[in-house]
Amino acid sequence: MIAVALPSPGVILAGAVTAAAASLWLLLPRGAESRVARWLGSLLGAAALAGFVLTGRRLGGLGEEAVFLIVSLVAVISGAATIVSRSPVYSAIWFALALAGVSGVLLVLGAQFLGVATIVVYAGAILVMFLFVLMLAQPAGLAPYDRVSNEPLLSALAGATLLGLLTLSIGRLSADPSCCQMPSKAAAMAAGSAGKSGDDVQAGDAIDTAIATDPLAADQVARLGGELFGRHLLAVEAAGVLLLVALVGSIAVVSRHGDPSGELAPARRAAS
Amino acid sequence: MNQLALLQNALVVGAILFSLGLVGILTRRNLIVMFLSAELMLQGISVSLVAWSRYHGDFGGHVLVIFVLTVAACEAAVALVFVLQAFARTGRLDSAAWQSLRESNLPRRVDHELPAIDTVPPTFPRLTPAGVLPAADENDLLQREHV
Repeated sequence: MIAVALPSPGVILAGAVTAAAASLWLLLPRGAESRVARWLGSLLGAAALAGFVLTGRRLGGLGEEAVFLIVSLVAVISGAATIVSRSPVYSAIWFALALAGVSGVLLVLGAQFLGVATIVVYAGAILVMFLFVLMLAQPAGLAPYDRVSNEPLLSALAGATLLGLLTLSIGRLSADPSCCQMPSKAAAMAAGSAGKSGDDVQAGDAIDTAIATDPLAADQVARLGGELFGRHLLAVEAAGVLLLVALVGSIAVVSRHGDPSGELAPARRAAS
Repeated sequence: MNQLALLQNALVVGAILFSLGLVGILTRRNLIVMFLSAELMLQGISVSLVAWSRYHGDFGGHVLVIFVLTVAACEAAVALVFVLQAFARTGRLDSAAWQSLRESNLPRRVDHELPAIDTVPPTFPRLTPAGVLPAADENDLLQREHV
């Protein structure tokens, strides 16, 4: 009914990417703070986000679209705030919010275990470790190196160029089988275990792939665990060794070369 | 739900997160913020991997993201140790404090004097005093001194 003459998606995308570059350049710390630059940067960032939302594909259902839009906006806005915050503590807190958004996106994508694991492992462990280090090492007030950045214009341009190229190539994805639709191994395995022949796998591909990682299945996490400890058992063992090596290595580095100022040296001598 | 549309939207979200992390790791000078930007890039990759996993109906992306989480934990532990060591040596979390490690043909980064932060002291609301100030009780004052 209301015929709004929108420009073509390519034009919107180019405008959004340009606005994103300008917004990042205005928002990144550049020494002299100006309220105008901050407001203009926020406005341009909002315009860029609106452009990306406009060029996004319709998911089909209003509820799904709303949920996906909200969680992805939370993730993207908090991610932008992470890199433009002057205070590293604020950066860490914004990163926690970005993690919440990312885990929401993962949940929408049907990865329940990963959505929860992202919150638990990242926000619960890694981010707290970051905050501990900040508490140990952060000088009072804003440090001068937090108020300037390296080449903000060139970096914003590089990031926007990468973003434009990626979104361009993502927009060209199509359901053409010769292009992107690989036959799913999980579907083939599921069909094979059910005793189907190869032709049925091709015919019932869509149905079988929907069953293999069905997020509504009660045992989806159990299937993920079966995949992880079945096909990827060796990699799990290697990851365990990696964790052990990282633990031992970090303790060794801290205790051997720690504290060149020598403040703790008497205590260590007394201990040994 | 339109699977291809979901894949494309999630890939765009992942690309935006990755680009933001790239800009952050290129520009920011605080070592901690640089690591946070690297973690932001990892998050973008995770979203893309899970989106492909959803599209193909395969657990490969999920498994890869689990290993990304593992390696990120290891990386954060080791890297934060080095950040602490760097802080102990220079007293700063500044990546430019280590610019003597740069290539010999690159110019030295010189920091100019920054303008002072024009921080307005915060104004807090004041409660208007009401009523009469009660007379001080001597016993009360004595007890308070021991608190």
